[in-house]
Amino acid sequence: MSEAVDEKVKDKKSLISQLEEEGDVAADYLEGLLDIADLDGDIDIDVENDRAALAIAGGKLNHLVGGRGEVLDALQELTRLAVQTSLGERSRLMLDIDSFRSDKKAELAELAKETAKEVKKSGEAIKLRPMNAFERKVVHDTIQEIGLTSESEGEDPDRCVVVLPE
Amino acid sequence: MIDEALEHLVKGIVDNPEEVVITEKSSRGGTTLEVRVHPEDIGKVIGRNGRTAKALRTVVSAIAGRSVRVDLIEADEVR
Repeated sequence: MSEAVDEKVKDKKSLISQLEEEGDVAADYLEGLLDIADLDGDIDIDVENDRAALAIAGGKLNHLVGGRGEVLDALQELTRLAVQTSLGERSRLMLDIDSFRSDKKAELAELAKETAKEVKKSGEAIKLRPMNAFERKVVHDTIQEIGLTSESEGEDPDRCVVVLPE
Repeated sequence: MIDEALEHLVKGIVDNPEEVVITEKSSRGGTTLEVRVHPEDIGKVIGRNGRTAKALRTVVSAIAGRSVRVDLIEADEVR
């Protein structure tokens, strides 16, 4: 392995460990809030698109999302500041709660169903537009429910779901 | 509970968390939470164009299930 590549691998590793640290700090902040407010929620920490990604799943957290996601945005903003205060680095972390924007989710599920129909009819794979991790998950889940298989290909931000024929 | 929630949210974003003091005041107009922070932290809790202050109000009101007023004050300010 050349030195340059070595250096790149190291950078990538340090970026990931930095993002994981961000995720941990953010999770502590959010967990503390959920505890005080006596709200149930599991916090999932991930790294997506070179950002820390946190997802709270609780089922009864609509009020923490808000009608247009405004509460979720505010909480995301505060969580980013908490990470910045703790680690000294600006954070671009993403926060999701109960897979908000359920209409968006429904829309994606509908797209997945339509695509599955076409794939079944033609027997050929169909590649969908690039999607973020949340969107891809919705599509994969829907395709699986229908009984077809799908996979993701390409690198973020161009990663796409491909729906495969039976 | 709501004062504790606000305290947690503020303490996490300031450099002097030990100096954060929350006072809850209820009146006919509803609940007001007064937040005292170290003078060096007042800019942090207000944020650019009041963005952070607004985020605090939004989250606290959402958790309380009603509109809560949040006043941000420098700790050394005379009452």
